[in-house]
Amino acid sequence: MRRVGYFCTFTPKELIKAAGFTPVRILTGNQHVSLANAHLQNYCCSQVRGSLERLLRGELDIDAAVFTRTCDSLMRLADIWERNSNMLVHNLEFPTKIDGRSREFLIRELYDFKSKLEEWRGKEITSEDLKSSIELYSYLEGLLDEIFRIKPDYELILRAQTEDAEEVLREAEKKVRELRDLKGERGEQKDARVLVTGSVCPAVDVLSLIEEAGFSIVDDLCTGTRFFKSDVESRDVNSMEEAMEFLAEKYLRKAPCPTKSYDGDWRFKYILERVKEVDAVIFLLLKFCEPHFFDYPQLKKELEKMGKKTLLLELEFPIVSYEQLKTRLEAFYEMVV
Amino acid sequence: MSRIKKLKATSKMREIMLAYYMQGKQAEEVSWVTSGAPVEFLYAMDVYPIYPENHAALIGATKMGPNFSQIAENEGFSQDLCSYARCDIGSAMVGSSPIGGLPKPNFLLCCNNICNTVVKWYEVLSRMFKVPLFILDVPFVRKELRESYVNYVEEQLYDFIRFLEKVTGEEFDESRFREVISLSIQGVNAYRDVLLMGRHKPSPLTCFDAFLNMAPIVCLRGTETPIGFYGELKEELEERVKNGVGAVDNEEIRLLWDNIPIWYELKRLSEFFIDHNACLVADTYTNAWTGILRLENKSDPIRSLAETYTFIYLNLGLELMAEAINRLIDVYDVDGVVIHSNRSCKPYSFGQYEIQKMIDVPSVVIEADMTDSRVFSMAQVETRLEAFLERLKS
Repeated sequence: MRRVGYFCTFTPKELIKAAGFTPVRILTGNQHVSLANAHLQNYCCSQVRGSLERLLRGELDIDAAVFTRTCDSLMRLADIWERNSNMLVHNLEFPTKIDGRSREFLIRELYDFKSKLEEWRGKEITSEDLKSSIELYSYLEGLLDEIFRIKPDYELILRAQTEDAEEVLREAEKKVRELRDLKGERGEQKDARVLVTGSVCPAVDVLSLIEEAGFSIVDDLCTGTRFFKSDVESRDVNSMEEAMEFLAEKYLRKAPCPTKSYDGDWRFKYILERVKEVDAVIFLLLKFCEPHFFDYPQLKKELEKMGKKTLLLELEFPIVSYEQLKTRLEAFYEMVV
Repeated sequence: MSRIKKLKATSKMREIMLAYYMQGKQAEEVSWVTSGAPVEFLYAMDVYPIYPENHAALIGATKMGPNFSQIAENEGFSQDLCSYARCDIGSAMVGSSPIGGLPKPNFLLCCNNICNTVVKWYEVLSRMFKVPLFILDVPFVRKELRESYVNYVEEQLYDFIRFLEKVTGEEFDESRFREVISLSIQGVNAYRDVLLMGRHKPSPLTCFDAFLNMAPIVCLRGTETPIGFYGELKEELEERVKNGVGAVDNEEIRLLWDNIPIWYELKRLSEFFIDHNACLVADTYTNAWTGILRLENKSDPIRSLAETYTFIYLNLGLELMAEAINRLIDVYDVDGVVIHSNRSCKPYSFGQYEIQKMIDVPSVVIEADMTDSRVFSMAQVETRLEAFLERLKS
């Protein structure tokens, strides 16, 4: 057993890695759903249906799957997955309500997850294993953060989620060096900056279309910034206890996601703060994604109050018409500049 | 003349619910609350609980679903969102509904043991009304109820007591609370006894009767009302049994309904089954409320509430759900299951295809939505059901 799949960015991949597995994020594929139709209704989002399709087609080279509490669809997918594969399945109950109570409960869940991984691996996770895994990801995430501040690299971040972190590290280092070298000489900032906020988007071409329309992207996607960004700075951990506490804090303060409910409506505040540096906002939402679509109308209203133009792109994977997206993006660009 | 044999109790229920909503308009302290939340705390603190889900069902039953959904949709709420939420948000936006809108909340209580949809829905309400929102966060019980889950929920219940004391300015009275729990248990017992009447052959009631008469156990659980009401309803059903009267004449097939009702089609569906001598003798939806009976004979009420409200039907993994369905199949001696694949309720509907393979009798899936009739086709549903009933009869 080598590779452990996961869906949600709230999954503590550091633990998976520390157990000696490669954490691999499972994302929807490029094929239309056919086999999954027998297991899931068509009003389920294409990330969940598409991932199941890949499982049923035998495309996934993983031995176990972790379902971190996210949304109702993923919650149900766990059992469907288990019944239709030979994979080991674990569900990690990440709190939905993020407040003072969450930390202790999450730490308990992290220990349970650790035991499960040890059982799968047949070997104990030491505090040294976890420490080095935490350091590895902190370093990689630091690089990704720097890259995304300058110019999001969606190919790279997809690799960071689906390949071994150590492999991607060198690539990320190279990219950072390139960007640092370029930075001084290219006043290449385009005239319109746009915050792209939304669900998963493994189709890199969609992001390219946004750039080709003339925008430079500030990212808030589940497969972008939200994969690596947390408010909690990396720190030295010297025992299992410290490591688990650090992980709990890190993930509780991960860039806010609409599947969580935050004290003081943190997600709205976070987005409204981030849009100060942009001219417009694109909502890149997966059709049927309830958490995002519930936030959308009120968030849009707040953004409009701030004078920001917004565009809603509702996606279903695989994308049928890039041409249509292109036309809408071009029209939106004209409106913004 | 409709072929549906109406229960006298149903008109009584309408009076009860009308009074319930009217009283709500006079109430000083109102909380909007999700259907799976521990309402016992609210009654114990003299807070008036109002159920947007029940209200949305009422909107659905009066065929106003598309109307109020549309208001929310015009505001940007997607048509793919839960139709209860759309109806409720639409109704709250314009302040009207078949009962003249709901009284404004002083605060909101949301428990995600039925879905995570309610968390988002109540966040929207909290921003709309600018009132505090208390979320009771319940871990999902995929395989087993873990002690750590119960601990987490129990701690939050104590947080909720403090929250209540703060917003009401009153102290939590434990003896009053124990009284409410006792009333809650008595109410649920009386309710369960009504549902169990469906075991008789022929059954004196259908799940449509259960749906129509479920509001008191949802909204008034913890008060005297459901105890009396369900007691009377049971007597009426006993009378039918004594006289050999079934809800469906010549009951040939006994069925179980899965998922929330299709509120705007109760009548036509009722008649369809009557015409086919098929009786839906029970359902997974109304039976979900009987789970509260786990509370009985427990010395620590808060701890057992935490346990009870975590182990709620919709919060269970598929194996546990299928076990529960198989128990109902056994208790009510049913021949088949009618599964409503409900566009509006993902946690209830996703996994139904697996459940079909895990249960002991044949089943059929029909596609619909609980309140949004725009996505419903009676002709399609009838064709599927007819084929299914034929298969069962042969």
